[in-house]
Amino acid sequence: MLSRAANNLIWIERYMERGNGMLSLLKVNFSANQDSPELFSWSPIIKNYNASENEFYTEDAIECIEYLIFNADNPNSILNLVTKARENARSVQEHLSRELWLCINNYYLYLTQKDLIKKLRTEDPVVFLDDLKKFHLMYIGTMDITQERGPSYYFMNVGRFLERLIQISEFTAMKLIEVSKTTDSLEQSFYWKNLLLSVGGYQLYLKTYKSSFQEDNVIHMLFQDQLFPRSMYYCVNKLNRHVKQLIDIQELEKNNTEFLLGKLESTIKYATIESINQQGLNQFVLGIKQDIKNISFSINTVYFSHSN
Amino acid sequence: MDKGFLFSSYDELPNTWDEMISNTAEIRPQYEAIIECLKKISQEELSKKEELSKQLFMSQGVTFTVYNDNEGIEKIFPFDIVPRIITGAEWDFIERGIKQRIKALNLFIKDIYNEQFIIKDGIVPADLIYSCPNYLREMKGVKVPHDIYVHIAGVDLIRNNDGEFYVLEDNLRTPSGVSYMLENREISKRLYPGILPKNNVRSVSNYPNLLYKKLKDLSYKNNPNIVLLTPGIYNSAYYEHSTLARLMGIELVEGSDLVVKNHFVYMKTTNGLKQVDVIYRRVDDDFLDPLEFNANSILGVAGIMASYRKGNVNIINAPGTGVADDKAIYVYVPDMIHYYLNEEPILKNIETYQLGKPEELKHVIENIKTMVIKKTDGSGGYGMLMGHEASEEEINDYLATVQKNPSAFIAQPILKLSTAPCYINGKLSPRCIDLRPFALSGKDGIEICPGGLTRVALKKGSLVVNSSQGGGSKDTWVIQE
Repeated sequence: MLSRAANNLIWIERYMERGNGMLSLLKVNFSANQDSPELFSWSPIIKNYNASENEFYTEDAIECIEYLIFNADNPNSILNLVTKARENARSVQEHLSRELWLCINNYYLYLTQKDLIKKLRTEDPVVFLDDLKKFHLMYIGTMDITQERGPSYYFMNVGRFLERLIQISEFTAMKLIEVSKTTDSLEQSFYWKNLLLSVGGYQLYLKTYKSSFQEDNVIHMLFQDQLFPRSMYYCVNKLNRHVKQLIDIQELEKNNTEFLLGKLESTIKYATIESINQQGLNQFVLGIKQDIKNISFSINTVYFSHSN
Repeated sequence: MDKGFLFSSYDELPNTWDEMISNTAEIRPQYEAIIECLKKISQEELSKKEELSKQLFMSQGVTFTVYNDNEGIEKIFPFDIVPRIITGAEWDFIERGIKQRIKALNLFIKDIYNEQFIIKDGIVPADLIYSCPNYLREMKGVKVPHDIYVHIAGVDLIRNNDGEFYVLEDNLRTPSGVSYMLENREISKRLYPGILPKNNVRSVSNYPNLLYKKLKDLSYKNNPNIVLLTPGIYNSAYYEHSTLARLMGIELVEGSDLVVKNHFVYMKTTNGLKQVDVIYRRVDDDFLDPLEFNANSILGVAGIMASYRKGNVNIINAPGTGVADDKAIYVYVPDMIHYYLNEEPILKNIETYQLGKPEELKHVIENIKTMVIKKTDGSGGYGMLMGHEASEEEINDYLATVQKNPSAFIAQPILKLSTAPCYINGKLSPRCIDLRPFALSGKDGIEICPGGLTRVALKKGSLVVNSSQGGGSKDTWVIQE
């Protein structure tokens, strides 16, 4: 496959997955913010997603959602993410199932409707966010049943799980900052619960640990649970699998990426709560973030360098 | 004839051939079925169909992006829901005419870049060739596979008020619009379920297969690596490039995806370099190779021409075909047909005055109100003077430019383009149209997809069908009789 095409396929998924995660975060924070604005302010979210030069700040929920969805100057706004995903998809149409391309294109057309912003300003924001979210669910389902298992699919999954890993570490890091500001264990448990909701792990957590939100359990689930599709362990496993498949069909050279992946996998797999606490959770998350960055960098430079 | 709301404002243009209404005010037989069908549909339903067609174009991504203030706006090429219909007999004539023309033009290009018999025999003046900006010295003496230069041609035809088809332009470089031929048909199927088979409309859907076969036949390999080279997503025809690549199952590449090594062309893949055998390029000659042409081009591939001359890669269409679709050369196409084929031209040329000839320039100036003047190397409907609409001042300004280099201009009498019914504001109105069929040449001959792109000037009375100037398109039905 063309290096440029592979790169575009990875980035379609990275943009789509980022958008998906962001929508979950917005929805969860909207509810939490209505309950306790002092605990769940908008600024950490804005800070996390604002990649533009301009400093932007608001504590108005709708203004914030509008900014993160529609702002044209912020490369991470949903509008820009979907525009870029579509632009990438357009240039690799021969590698995508027709259905998947139509799905992305329709999402883009929906977002660029003139009156959409008015809808957000006047109607129920949760329905609004759910409507956008549906495009992601449709996208993921369409990809599952229409995209042939082959290099395009593997490259896309590399993008998806890479981005999901970044997301889990970022969401956790964001909450750690908040947690560290308080010693009140009840408040801390609110934050942990909120984190679980943002990554969609709340229900599984209740089933496993019942309604008691303890750091150790939350961390175990987010990092090491084998069955939870948004745990680090799960994502690293998947990432590894798709990279291996690419190597097997000779679409990727065996190299550093495999080593880095193996390293991250063992860090996550064999960490114990004790060992994590020993180095400090914050340090542990930072380490993982750095590892993911290195993996992403290694994929980018080694395989997709255009300087050849 | 039952008029009804559809026909309530069908005011035919004077002295003009109408594709639907004959000069005895009857509906021509080929239009009867579709008109019957349209009459059964209420105005509201028709307008819904029009809306549906727009939505279909948008949701399929049959769009081009116009960038304005950093904001990309998706536009569709306007589509009129009433098909343009060509009878089987008319099509046979067009098909024979285009085949003859392409055959002669291809021989001409071969001759020009090799022995130049046509110059030596005094048919075409040498200075006209050498002064043509699209003549490529780099192609002199290059042996091209099967002697085919023009693999894909999109010949523009118009029908004058005498009912005859005339060739407006030959378009032998990188003609575009074929994806609209395919897409318009897909839309028609949705708008008028069952009507296409009832009318025995010939299918156009095998164009991509036909094109793929012609491209594949060019290589001596069993399984050649064929790619489509696009200037990239910002090109207004990008939709077409991606569609053709997808429908043929070939890779869509940009200049930066290709590299030349030891005079072979490779594409950069995740698994290293892979050799490319055939390139269907949609990049103009000038941008193809920065080492030989425009040095600033980032759309092309350095060294590709040297690889081509060595026969290591095929480039489609061959570089340098523009010498044959230049407006100054156009005048000589009937002579070429006589010279190379010893045949009478089937399709007519429009009477054309070469302003480089003093007596013809004089004639044109005297009759300027009935003339259109064009630059010999212009296209897209730009840089023209339409004598009947221009003010005195515009005419004088234009003529001043002409005087500086008269041989860079030609003039033609303003033709009466035929009109076809269009659905505009809830009613049928006649609008001027042309026709661009697509001809494919390969080692086993020339094939033309039965249909083509019908462009329509949506502005009332306008003769300019170019998409950049308010033109739209229609589905084109060729009836199997």
